[in-house]
Amino acid sequence: MGKRKQRLLRALGRSAEGVLRGLEEAADRPKQLDYFIEVMRAAYVDDCLAERLELSEPRPKVVGIYCVMAPEELVYAAGAIPLRLCGGSHEASCAGDELAPRDACPVVKSALGSTALGAPSLYELCDVVVVPTTCDAKRKMGEELAQHTEVWVLDVPHVKESEGARRQWLEELHGFKRDLERLTGNRIKRRALKEAIAMLGRAQHQARRLYQLRQAPVPVVRGSEAALALHAFAFDRADSWTEAMTRLNDELEERTRHQQPSQGAQRPRLMLAGAPSIFPNWKLPNLIEEMGGALVTDESCVGDRYLYDPVGAVENTMEDMMVALGSRYLMPCTCPSFAPNDDRLFRLRQAVEDFQLDGVLYLVLKGCVIYDFELQRVEKLMRELGLPVLRIETDYNPEDVEQLRTRVEAFIEMIQENTQLEVGA
Amino acid sequence: MRVTRLRWLVLAVCFVLLTFGGRMGVHLGAYLPTFACYFTGFDSYGGACFLAPLQFALAAGSVDGLLKALLYVVIAILLIIPLGSAWCGWVCPFAFVQDVLDLIRRKLGLGYLRFPEGLREGLRPAKWVFLFIMLLLPLWAAFPILVPSVARHLNIPFCELCPVRYIMPMLTGRASYMGVDLENATTIILSGLGVFFAILTLVLSLFKRRFWCAYCPMVLVLSFFRRISLPKLKKDVQKCTRCEICYNVCPMDVEQVFKEREKENVTFPDCVLCLACIEHCPEDDALRATWAGKTFFRSTRKGFSRRRKIGVDRHKNKDN
Repeated sequence: MGKRKQRLLRALGRSAEGVLRGLEEAADRPKQLDYFIEVMRAAYVDDCLAERLELSEPRPKVVGIYCVMAPEELVYAAGAIPLRLCGGSHEASCAGDELAPRDACPVVKSALGSTALGAPSLYELCDVVVVPTTCDAKRKMGEELAQHTEVWVLDVPHVKESEGARRQWLEELHGFKRDLERLTGNRIKRRALKEAIAMLGRAQHQARRLYQLRQAPVPVVRGSEAALALHAFAFDRADSWTEAMTRLNDELEERTRHQQPSQGAQRPRLMLAGAPSIFPNWKLPNLIEEMGGALVTDESCVGDRYLYDPVGAVENTMEDMMVALGSRYLMPCTCPSFAPNDDRLFRLRQAVEDFQLDGVLYLVLKGCVIYDFELQRVEKLMRELGLPVLRIETDYNPEDVEQLRTRVEAFIEMIQENTQLEVGA
Repeated sequence: MRVTRLRWLVLAVCFVLLTFGGRMGVHLGAYLPTFACYFTGFDSYGGACFLAPLQFALAAGSVDGLLKALLYVVIAILLIIPLGSAWCGWVCPFAFVQDVLDLIRRKLGLGYLRFPEGLREGLRPAKWVFLFIMLLLPLWAAFPILVPSVARHLNIPFCELCPVRYIMPMLTGRASYMGVDLENATTIILSGLGVFFAILTLVLSLFKRRFWCAYCPMVLVLSFFRRISLPKLKKDVQKCTRCEICYNVCPMDVEQVFKEREKENVTFPDCVLCLACIEHCPEDDALRATWAGKTFFRSTRKGFSRRRKIGVDRHKNKDN
């Protein structure tokens, strides 16, 4: 093992452990959260995901996936294991600095760094990685990754509306299916796909349960906790994750029944919008909660958006299931790499209503042009709805935490004062 | 699958009652705005399509005939208002036949065919053509000013073209209807086309969901009343995620429901109110069905999961 790799593993482990410890220190955390903490610890700290996944001999193929457009149902149906690889590590992004242009976003840099050095080793575990053509950075990242590993590029149309785009996307998925069959040597049969859709359907059902539980007027789980639990899906088998999530939801339901808040009920209810906070970049979720905010939802593709939508197959014929997968992984996705992306504004409007939001923190990861582009529209919408928006541009570097702390604190105080004024008047 | 099951039950009961009801003493007359074929025979049908008697009345060419035609239209409107397009989705015996063929396809594990938008757009005028044939040609037959030798045979021109008129009588033992009428050139052309449409419909219904309905003039007639008839399909545009499930489950390929971003009323002309879209919509209250403004069926995520048996809570079951 190279020295650089060892160094990266150590540094990565340290910062990941810091985040996980932080979560464990909260005495009021849900007991069932520990399972998800262990998943993340295995992936990033102990670096033993292969053992944790109990990959039997002969080892099943492992398919690394970026973004949220590659149907994991097909991967499972082919008898392979999907892992979600989008990177959130500062240390890995430093390692990736030399592999990407300066203005590339830290997600891409982190993924490149981790792949190049093979740390954490779950990146080495993947027999192939799937890169959907979402934003420019991800698309070019796919090309660079190909120096280190086999890459399948999944061509995602950027205009969802047109019939041609949807047909091409369906063709693309059929190609993905054939590639998976070639990789694993298993033909994807109707029954296997039906079961995989049902298995992920159960996961999606539990994710939606959590989503609804978090809408309660008194928060029963911290945003940082819920985000971690959802994120853990990336590194776990879908069925084990679902079981753990069912237990967590049961516990949270119990809390709701007994009105046990996880944090003060009076906290301003905030959404973390914009670019995703990918583990272990827990900078903003932590700041929001430390500074007195309640993080009730996000629109992250590793968080609340990850497992929100279900697959709507009815006939269970192969064609119908493929069409349903095509719809699920393209149409409701509100990634800003789509244009026009009005769907996102509708989703945000609904979230404001569902979660009774008081304010929106808008994360722009340095180099992420598309989320920044859409800020104006989001600000306009939130003005209309009477909600303040705070734009925060940062990367994974922990250096600016104290500066951000002041800004987040001021933002939350402003919301609190406004509500008090309203109550007073 | 509750609504789907209920709809199958209603469709099957209507199929039996309307097609064979006459033999059991059910006589609703030929006033119905649905494709219960008149030519299954007076002794067999329990109720029949009003389009055949309407054409006969128009072709009579008398004041009496025209008044009769008016009466058929008025009765049809009175019947359309309470049920709207649900006549197509829940009552039509020929819809039942098509749905059975569709079920066979599913059981064979075959996918469905979806025509490209361009082709669908191109074929859209077909039902208008059928409607004009139905309303204008009988009048020509009544007042054969031009080419009377052709006009004479155009009493019920739409029925001669209608695939249902060839298929349904077979089920009541009147197989002789399935054939080309060789009496003269006009009948040869009309019935030749009719037989062709019938065979086409039977074959394509195995691949394309509700193949005939896209060209059925009754769907068109019912759609004229979609604003004033009582059942409606409504959408909360904000709750919709545009996941496209409603389009995929729609037997009529109605795309506008998921695309709509402004209007609440999404009872589009091709909608047959089968309610499959509500049944499979995963968003709470994004889609709902109302009758005279009152909601009687709404979409829920719980229902979505329950229908797929993925919402079962293992831990809760253990406790109980």
